Amino acid sequence: MKRHPEAPDIPLPPGSGNQIVTAGFRGSWADVPTVPLPEVAAALVDDHLAAAGAAWEHAQSPSEALIVSANRVSDDLAQELQDDGFALVRSAGVEPATQQREADAGRLWLLTSGSTGRPKRVAHTLRSLTTVATDQPPRRWLCPYSPGAYAWWQVVTLSLAHPGQDVVFVEAAQLDSWPELALAEGVTAASGTPTFWRQALWRSAENVAKLALEQVTLGGEPVDQAILDRLTTLFPAARVSWIYASSEAGASIAVHDGLAGFPVSWLDRNVPGKPLLTVQDDELLIDSAWSARGFEGALRTGDRAQVIDDRVHITGRVASDEINVGGSKASASAVRAVLLAHPAVIWAQVRGRSAPIVGNVVTADVVLEEPVSQPELTRWCAERLPDYSVPRRLRLLTEIPLKETLKSDV
Amino acid sequence: MSTLSRDQIRTMMGEVLETQGKAIPESDATVLTEIGFRSLDFSELALRVEDELGSELNFDAPGLRAIETVGDVLEFLEQLQQA
Repeated sequence: MKRHPEAPDIPLPPGSGNQIVTAGFRGSWADVPTVPLPEVAAALVDDHLAAAGAAWEHAQSPSEALIVSANRVSDDLAQELQDDGFALVRSAGVEPATQQREADAGRLWLLTSGSTGRPKRVAHTLRSLTTVATDQPPRRWLCPYSPGAYAWWQVVTLSLAHPGQDVVFVEAAQLDSWPELALAEGVTAASGTPTFWRQALWRSAENVAKLALEQVTLGGEPVDQAILDRLTTLFPAARVSWIYASSEAGASIAVHDGLAGFPVSWLDRNVPGKPLLTVQDDELLIDSAWSARGFEGALRTGDRAQVIDDRVHITGRVASDEINVGGSKASASAVRAVLLAHPAVIWAQVRGRSAPIVGNVVTADVVLEEPVSQPELTRWCAERLPDYSVPRRLRLLTEIPLKETLKSDV
Repeated sequence: MSTLSRDQIRTMMGEVLETQGKAIPESDATVLTEIGFRSLDFSELALRVEDELGSELNFDAPGLRAIETVGDVLEFLEQLQQA
């Protein structure tokens, strides 16, 4: 076992013997080549092995650290970090901080995805990121998330905290062929965004179907019934779960019944150890013990929550959901749901587009699994949506767009 | 900048109506309300023209005037390309 020479005698995490696999490494956590971290460090990593090394180092030595994929950090952000006391730890070496300060020992920083603006730093600890407290059945997890993202930490902390939780990391360059990797590695649990799952099913459904998955997890984007149905059909023996989590709010909602949305009875419910969920003005608010520092109390998530029958559906961002069409309010998420309900549509993205007379019209990009004409899709929508919500321009894409965040920014 | 002919715009107008299960009438004198061609349809047609041209139309230039017939729509969008 390699340990930082000045590290205090901290007990090994219970999962230290779990196996981890990256593109260039196979071994236990305790065997991962460590990445020495200065007391206040931003590890700008090139791959999962370096990220795992930094995470292991942090678990052994309570430094203050930010671990993030190097390609997510612009020169300006790197300079900002150095000016705020962070030494930059890159594969090429260490660039010292421009300002020295005392470390906030044990602090782990995350960067938000930046999908709604510039990435922000969010303060956690290894403890606040370790949200699974109960014993888990042995599993071999696939982790396709970008190093240092909240969802990446969810898989990593699960593996560090619980024996029997191996992790197979997927590098960005392997994302297109992850089903083959997962098959070869005997993965039994996989976590990804709905877009991640849709792309895999669209590209290589046959190989995905061969996986012996016991646990299928979705999160990071609105989770609709269509994708849940596809996955429960494909993996009838697996537990299919969707998780609502964010860097700021932490992991707050976990649903395992195969249905989109969560029971409305979970709203306004005070249960010790569980986040308090409320809806105000169609926005989801979360008060959670797992939230980041500075986000305690009822956090406005910016996510739209809609009660349909006895379920609360999280359908998208409040700020970008509404499209004003000549004074009528179209909902991008409602249009998207209708498109995704068409049997030929595997993926859809809906936006407003500036247009004369009415200000905006609804437009959509779609990816098809089976051929279908644009007029037929338009008719499908017209039968289910008010006139002003029917997409007026439909573009057929040949690929599902997938960013490193595994999202499409829907 | 290339422009679309009146016939090309007429074809596009037919496509807008076709998605609603309607056909474009032969006569340009047909009143729009008779065929249910509304503001949203006009906006969609304008976007189709913009997409074909690869540039935005300047709707401020001639000012919107009374458009009541199929011929008015075609004429207006023809003129708009020159603006």
